[in-house]
Amino acid sequence: MVFSTTNTDNKVDNKITVGIGQVFGARAPATFHSVLGSCIGVVLYSRQHKTGAMAHVVLPAQVAGSADTPGKYADTAIKHMLKLLAREGVMLEHLTAKITGGAAMFNTSGPLQIGEKNIDAVKAELTNANIRLGGDDTGGTKGRRVTFDLETGMFTVETVGQEPTVF
Amino acid sequence: MSSNLELLHSVFSAATHDASAAMSFWTKGLVTLSLDEVRELPLEEVVSSELEEKLLNMVVLTLDEESGGTIVLTFDDNSGRQLASILLSQPLPEEGTEWNELEKSALLETGNILGCAYIGAIAKCVEQTLTPSPPYFLQDYAASVLEQAIIEQATYTEKILICQTRFLQKNEEVNWNVFFIPSFCLRQKMEQSLQFDEKLSDC
Repeated sequence: MVFSTTNTDNKVDNKITVGIGQVFGARAPATFHSVLGSCIGVVLYSRQHKTGAMAHVVLPAQVAGSADTPGKYADTAIKHMLKLLAREGVMLEHLTAKITGGAAMFNTSGPLQIGEKNIDAVKAELTNANIRLGGDDTGGTKGRRVTFDLETGMFTVETVGQEPTVF
Repeated sequence: MSSNLELLHSVFSAATHDASAAMSFWTKGLVTLSLDEVRELPLEEVVSSELEEKLLNMVVLTLDEESGGTIVLTFDDNSGRQLASILLSQPLPEEGTEWNELEKSALLETGNILGCAYIGAIAKCVEQTLTPSPPYFLQDYAASVLEQAIIEQATYTEKILICQTRFLQKNEEVNWNVFFIPSFCLRQKMEQSLQFDEKLSDC
């Protein structure tokens, strides 16, 4: 089952594609899918409920006056996921976080290299919310194709030229 | 199409025209370009389902920090190999073999020639020097590269301007694309410059 404040066109069978800046929540049997560059895929998951939410975070923090797209920013995405999960009866004490992404894709400096800042911002928000970080595959210079299985609570991360990582 | 998008379409047409002429010269008339689409898309729609999980070969050029923008040339493995073999006058290598440095270099030079012609036309529009980075070669998920390219625009706006150009080989469409994603600042400069020109032509 998918629960989300955005539309659920992204769901085919039990496969939910979490696009740039989006947030989805779901119960097993279902999988979240995404392709990440410098963005971060954050999952908050309750093993007990086999329920979780995933955000595809683009930037560290919301700029004043920007539109209401909570999944886009680290500071708003975590709060939004907590609300989504609370509505399904999954409370903070049940949750573990896993994160992936945050690569430095281009061989340049400057504002395009946001990956590291995104990683720091997401980790800081998780600490502020008292959510334990149960797994982390971040950084590097390559894109990632990721799948999170709500049945097992495991992330599978595929990176070009490397063996998949499962955590 | 909004009036601003229509105005921008004219700049991207000029840029595609110049890039096409450069490509035609580089490939001895074999390859040309045609402007496909100038779109303004919500974040979640920037990466089409067609590109979503595709592993592609890409040549990327970025504009200097002040102007901002990214050009991404994408080739699937067969198409990229085909272009490299034409440029190097070499037979196609066996499927599945690693790209050698010479092949990568042929694609990098293609990206450089095409990108510089494209950016040159945009520089004329905004009456400013635009300096592209040296091109670099990536083999990665197209979605992850496009995601990085839109980050700067995404900082300022919820809708991303993206220009997509197709390649034609002897007038037949091939599976190569060019994406140009200007920074928010460069987009504004292009719009201001075009609106000013339009006002002058109305006088």
